[in-house]
Amino acid sequence: MRTTARVFAVIAALMAATILVSAQTQTKAPRTPWGAPDLQGIWNTNTMVPFERNPQYGTRQRMTEEEHAKALAELQQRNQRPGRDSREVGGKPGIGTEKDVARAYNEFWFGDKPTKLSYRTSMLVDPPNGRMPSYTPEATKRIADKREFLAALLQGTSGGRPGPISARRAEPSPDYNLDRINRSDGPEDRGGPERCFGDTPPVTMGTGTFGGVMQLVQGPDSVSIYYDIGQGQGFSWVVPITSRPHLPKSVRLYRGDAIGRWEGDTLVVDVTNFSDETSFRGSRENLHLIQRFRRLDANTLQVEFTAEDPTTWTQPWTAVQELEKADDKTTLVLEGGCHEGNYGLLGMLLNTRAAEKAFAEGKGPDPATQDNATGGGGDN
Amino acid sequence: MRTGVSRRVVIAAAVVVVVVGVFALTASRSASQAVQATPARPARIEGKPNLNGIWQAINTANWDLLAHDVKPAVAQRGVYANHPVLAAPVVALGSVGIVPPSLGVVEGNEIPYKPEIAKQKQDNAEHWLDRDPEVRCYMPGIPRAMYMPYPFQITQSGSKVQMVFAYANASRTIYLQEAPKPPADTWMGHSVGRWEGNTLVTHVTNFNDRTWFSRAGDFHSDALDVVERFTPITPDALKYEVTITDPNVFTRPWKMNMVLYRQLEDNATLMEFRCIELVEETFLGHLRKNQLVKHWEGDTIILDVTRRVPEGDKRYER
Repeated sequence: MRTTARVFAVIAALMAATILVSAQTQTKAPRTPWGAPDLQGIWNTNTMVPFERNPQYGTRQRMTEEEHAKALAELQQRNQRPGRDSREVGGKPGIGTEKDVARAYNEFWFGDKPTKLSYRTSMLVDPPNGRMPSYTPEATKRIADKREFLAALLQGTSGGRPGPISARRAEPSPDYNLDRINRSDGPEDRGGPERCFGDTPPVTMGTGTFGGVMQLVQGPDSVSIYYDIGQGQGFSWVVPITSRPHLPKSVRLYRGDAIGRWEGDTLVVDVTNFSDETSFRGSRENLHLIQRFRRLDANTLQVEFTAEDPTTWTQPWTAVQELEKADDKTTLVLEGGCHEGNYGLLGMLLNTRAAEKAFAEGKGPDPATQDNATGGGGDN
Repeated sequence: MRTGVSRRVVIAAAVVVVVVGVFALTASRSASQAVQATPARPARIEGKPNLNGIWQAINTANWDLLAHDVKPAVAQRGVYANHPVLAAPVVALGSVGIVPPSLGVVEGNEIPYKPEIAKQKQDNAEHWLDRDPEVRCYMPGIPRAMYMPYPFQITQSGSKVQMVFAYANASRTIYLQEAPKPPADTWMGHSVGRWEGNTLVTHVTNFNDRTWFSRAGDFHSDALDVVERFTPITPDALKYEVTITDPNVFTRPWKMNMVLYRQLEDNATLMEFRCIELVEETFLGHLRKNQLVKHWEGDTIILDVTRRVPEGDKRYER
């Protein structure tokens, strides 16, 4: 009897909480003059949330006070570490090495380091352990094939495994290449960002200088988002609010076919028809996205997405991020102009042809023996 | 006794809350399951005309703002000096390579270039394929974006009007409320708008000097100042008036007038027009290790257009 009462009390408390929460969101969510939930504004974040969860938190989505204090102290400690300019390469001073030069950006460009840390243990909330689901055997093979191709193109260079220059340098990429590969035979050999293709949905915002900003403008029949993100990889994304079916399967779009609808106070966007030039964490044209935008309060926009692709992941997965409202009067999203000023792509091809010519004339090294791929990434 | 009462209260409360809770959950679920169809379009947004939708100019202003007869998209001198014929880049296209005729969109059919600058337009026209930023898939600027022969979508709220153009994924925001100015010149300009009755009036500044007005080589400097007026004639047609001021290039302000039309198809959709990837061959083809177009000489593309005489035609050509 006593146990039953306790169980009831717990259920009651949960129910009451549910009602309170839904009542709260209904009263708090601002509305447009035509009665839709108002998601408009310029949104970004200055609060760090890891994408995947550190296994120490298990299935918990939130840190305790002590865990948060400890993680924040670690973040602050990491911020004190030597920057990009003074890091070592292979245990030796890095300055002036091939890898250092290829990094392109020195410490100056990285600006302020993030100092705020969310209580969220990860953006990834499903699977419940906050970790990416495994790849299907098909995707594992696809990714391994590409990795082997990338390794073959680096073989025998300072950034690759030892061995002779690979005959695979003459082969096309096994997938539609969007990676930084060690070859510049034509524009297709350069990465998507270097060709100014721009980012694709879903966008997760980062913190700091390159974190990104989004501007959301809303009308009765469309939501128009501009993502100012990734050093000129920004893009416009119009989500029509419509009951039309998705486009014919034969039409494949880099950013997919987005269809929006309102479910209560949530904008639900269903995106299909991606192309083989779309690349999202191992998924390509079979990606199916369900994105949810919901205003939690005047200053918080929750953006959640579920990604599914049975040819890539063994199960669908969901990530969530809270964005903070920026002041419209002082914040401006800027046009990227990546393609308009893209002398880099031209330069990569031009320089490689010049190096090949010089080599043929006996005036320089074989460009195939040089590493033009492993430097410059954010990871080192 | 105390325990008994409180237990009874807890149970009663629990029952009430569970009943209410289940009801609330059921209600919210049925609300969320009722997926809304395409929303009806209100006539006005915060008391202003509702411009939300997909629009497009139906004219050839992007080819040439001035009145013109049919002409080759790319011309070479024919037998008669005043009757040019299709040139190599479009000769295989036949009638697809012809610019349709138009009355033009410029008030008085004259663009008032300063005399010392007028020849620059002619020079641009002659080197159109080398110079037009559109050929390179660059952002088109304002007003050109508004009358390119492709659709654009307006998303209008009380504080901002966002326009996204199919071509090149270009976009512009018209700020109806206070916003900071961009820190540098832009391709699409910085648009500040206000309503004058039913007319949306915009003032667009902060341009660079790199966009053109059309494929005919009409150009401007970074002193370009654009005022646009969007006035509904019907719910599905907008009168679009533009005043161009640029004292570096023109002797006086000049005006364009045209109509923008709403796409009325039930399934009207703004689709991607990604041209960046498709222009790589035009501008980087000569830098490939193994060229796809075999007739690059240095950085010059030599176009040998091959057209086989079709079987049907051969009968008459024997």
